[in-house]
Amino acid sequence: MFNRRTLSVIKRELREKVLSRSFIFMTLLIPVFIFGILGLQMVLYNYDSNKTATIEVSCETSQLAAAIGTEFGKLPFVKDGSFKLKYNFMSKDDFDKMLPLLKKDLLEEKLNGVLFIPGSALSDKKINYYSKNPNNYSLLNKFRSSINAALINLYFSKKQLSANEISYAGEGVDIDGFRISNDKNIKAEGEGNQVVSYLLTFLLYMSLIFSGTMMMRSVIQEKSNRIVEILLSSVNSKELMAGKIIGTSITGIAQMTIWLLPLIMVISSSVFVLPKEFTIDINLSQVAFVLFNFLIGLVTFLGLFATVGAIFDNDQDAQSGIWPIMILIMIPFFIAFSLINNPENTIGMVASMLPFASIIVMPARISLVDIPAWQLVLAIVVNLATLGVIFPLAGKIYRVGILMTGKKPKWGEVIKWLKYKY
Amino acid sequence: MHVLEVKNLVKTFDGIRAVDDVSFTIPEGCVFGLIGRNGAGKTTTLRIMMNIYLPDSGEVLLQGAKAGQDFKDKVGYLPEERGLYKKMKVLETLLFFAELKGKTGKAVEKQAIKYLERFQLADRKNSKLEDLSKGNQQKVQFITTILHDPEFIILDEPFTGLDPINTNLLKEIILELRDQGKVIIFSTHLMDFAERMCDHITMLDKGRVILNGALSDIKAKYSQRNVSINYRGDLSFLKSNPVVEKIVNYGNSSSIKVKEPQQVQQLLRTLVENNINVTKFAADEISLQEIFVDLAGDDNTNSIAAEVKYV
Repeated sequence: MFNRRTLSVIKRELREKVLSRSFIFMTLLIPVFIFGILGLQMVLYNYDSNKTATIEVSCETSQLAAAIGTEFGKLPFVKDGSFKLKYNFMSKDDFDKMLPLLKKDLLEEKLNGVLFIPGSALSDKKINYYSKNPNNYSLLNKFRSSINAALINLYFSKKQLSANEISYAGEGVDIDGFRISNDKNIKAEGEGNQVVSYLLTFLLYMSLIFSGTMMMRSVIQEKSNRIVEILLSSVNSKELMAGKIIGTSITGIAQMTIWLLPLIMVISSSVFVLPKEFTIDINLSQVAFVLFNFLIGLVTFLGLFATVGAIFDNDQDAQSGIWPIMILIMIPFFIAFSLINNPENTIGMVASMLPFASIIVMPARISLVDIPAWQLVLAIVVNLATLGVIFPLAGKIYRVGILMTGKKPKWGEVIKWLKYKY
Repeated sequence: MHVLEVKNLVKTFDGIRAVDDVSFTIPEGCVFGLIGRNGAGKTTTLRIMMNIYLPDSGEVLLQGAKAGQDFKDKVGYLPEERGLYKKMKVLETLLFFAELKGKTGKAVEKQAIKYLERFQLADRKNSKLEDLSKGNQQKVQFITTILHDPEFIILDEPFTGLDPINTNLLKEIILELRDQGKVIIFSTHLMDFAERMCDHITMLDKGRVILNGALSDIKAKYSQRNVSINYRGDLSFLKSNPVVEKIVNYGNSSSIKVKEPQQVQQLLRTLVENNINVTKFAADEISLQEIFVDLAGDDNTNSIAAEVKYV
């Protein structure tokens, strides 16, 4: 199957693909795109529309007003005057009378909000907030812990506790994740691993779809332009299919390696130091596994894409016939994403060793949890076995399909092709 | 000596016998024509010979041995439906297809340039194929067929879509290649082309061989008692004439078969007596077209028979 003719086909595929504009664009743009999305998400999440605000703080008791005033006074945005706070203390009845008077200012946003802290807050920590937009959590969150601190201070100040004890009571719970693995050291878990998992999932998904579509187009082109008949007068269909798949696989692996280059550099050199909360636990041999596993998967999927290309003789028909393969890529993609919430979920574990799914799911798991060696080996074995089963079938359909023109075949007819003697 | 032998080929598509027990032999250094109307099984036969299709049964022998990959390397094949990679450049395309046949290096490139010059395409060698006219693309395709200096050249309907000038250029090159000792095999439904160019023919109809052999032998055999005439006048009186066995009228020309060889003179006399203006009278002559009509039993040779969709 592999000989000088296959080599000629591989060379042509590489010339056509690697030098194509779309390949260069994709290779450069995909990382930009992914980081762009990540970055955009961060920006949107942290975007702060409340640079300035005017808030009226009404407390039912003078002690409360003082305690709140002290805590709020510590806040930097209050200190620098970008948030203007008006304090007053009044009873609930007075406040209820005042509120209608403030309504106009609130609606015109001269006043952004009114906080009412009743005396009962010292026993149940319940306070009221009045605003045109009471669900603006980014604004409320700025005050939440200060109010809590003020209430705690006031509450415990009557109970003769030391400042340390009071400060302890005020602390939230801070959970640090540590990853237990077969390594000697127990390492602190950072968000870096999640980013890597997300990245791998996305890149593998993009690459499969991109390489696959390219493959399918190329087969359709040869079929509809009738190049295939001249090709077959020199090579046989197995050599042709192998050459095309190997050529496209090399392209795909090269592209994936380029995409993973930043990751590889971070792992293998000490020049690039990630901030502590972004440390990643993936090592070079795992990256190598990911690439190898991907290569097997890529070859399998390219075989399928080539087959679909051979069945149809134009892009539109092929698009409608591609869905079974798309499902095989989409479902693992979503499973891999679900892993980011809980890397140990059973579906993910099983999927990481299933045919087709393991190509995307296993890399996502590798970056999140320690995977027993047998699972890695099983994934590879399963993938190789899948390849072994798929290829003779794909090759047969391909052989019949590339010479078949005319009306769009039905799936039943395609199954019949498997029995043809060609 | 026979270099290529096709033995008892059968190929069925969805229950239709596209090729039905086809056998023929191709002698050395000849132009061989596979003729028949559309859908007769020509392309399928050629594809089986090229090992593009596997036959249901039968085999193709090259010098007595089963033809395999070694045969493919020795053949230049021009399929009926032409096509090349549109985005590839002309010279790149030529070198790629030569490489598939195992020919690489400077010599091939030189030869490619030579052919491009001959076809007046040398200045387009770095153009993409999609930028060439259809006629020029066909020329490039023809060069890919012969660039690797094949021993066998198989051309499936080579003249379709060519203008008269290029048709002549192609004919010229085919005959040149024959003189170099190559075996030319071509299929066509154009009987007069086959008649002018072929040494040997095999005629197919509905997947079966209906005629086979050297063109001269075939003509000698079928031309007996046959008279070909060009004329002006009305021949309808001949239909009831006792010496005439059969008459086929083509308008200005006609093919007449008499019952006994010695009746030819009598036929000429009858024509003159009936005031037919005879401009050409050729005894013992028959065109391939007439033989075909005779054998296939259908006046309308251009009618498209129920075509097998794979052919």
